[in-house]
Amino acid sequence: MAGELEGCKPLSGLLSGLAQDNFFRHPGITEELLRSQLYPEVPPEEFRPFLAKMRGILKSIASGDMDFNQLEAFLTAQTKKQGGITSDQAAVISKFWKSHKTKIQESLMNQSRWDNGLRGLNWRVDGKSQSRHSSQIHTPVAIIELELGKSGQESEYLCLEFDEVKVNQVLKKLSEVEESISTLMQPA
Amino acid sequence: MEGSSEPRLDAKSQVTNQLIDFQWKLGMAVSSDSCRSLKYPYVTVMLKVADHSGQVKTKSFEMTIPQFQNFYRQFKEIAAIIETV
Repeated sequence: MAGELEGCKPLSGLLSGLAQDNFFRHPGITEELLRSQLYPEVPPEEFRPFLAKMRGILKSIASGDMDFNQLEAFLTAQTKKQGGITSDQAAVISKFWKSHKTKIQESLMNQSRWDNGLRGLNWRVDGKSQSRHSSQIHTPVAIIELELGKSGQESEYLCLEFDEVKVNQVLKKLSEVEESISTLMQPA
Repeated sequence: MEGSSEPRLDAKSQVTNQLIDFQWKLGMAVSSDSCRSLKYPYVTVMLKVADHSGQVKTKSFEMTIPQFQNFYRQFKEIAAIIETV
């Protein structure tokens, strides 16, 4: 029966299922579902510790935000452990992490953002014409709509009106942000 | 304004607000209980806005760096166009 667990094809599927459950919070991914879909020949009492082991490994990799060197070192260590993983399994896990890392990290980032996120931005520029006495004053106006929302909640829309002066004021602030980002991103 | 699902930017009766203040903060998330080693920078913006009646409210939101870059780029576009109108 151990041979069944060592097969690599279902492992990829298992890791996907674990990621959906752990990182993307997809409901309904039970141990029984994974076993029956991917390892139907394996009895539940054997599958359970195997699943726990894989879940633990995936969590460690995600939690540690491992780069590829750290990942290889970590997986190699797992292959040398008593009751660890095979080198084939290590290869599958490595491949899985490399292709899913960004999405998983994004999901984890979103889970720790409790403020509104910026979901969308729409805008248009209107030429506003005012007539006072007999002269026509032409003031362009930017209408900007921000779509904001907290994780799992409905969007809220904020509509703002800007004249040219205000647009430039905001632009100046944004360039200050950009400068700060550049300073932060500079290698130490 | 809250939670309406009408189409955007076409409705003439759309309530618009004036921006009174724009504050920003650049932060770095280091660790969270779902991920011990995060290391991701983010920009938080705090807007103070007033509606037509003069009522002031604040709204804050967070952007990842790529989101911020997009936000900045769009504002530059708006500035370029409003100049030429």
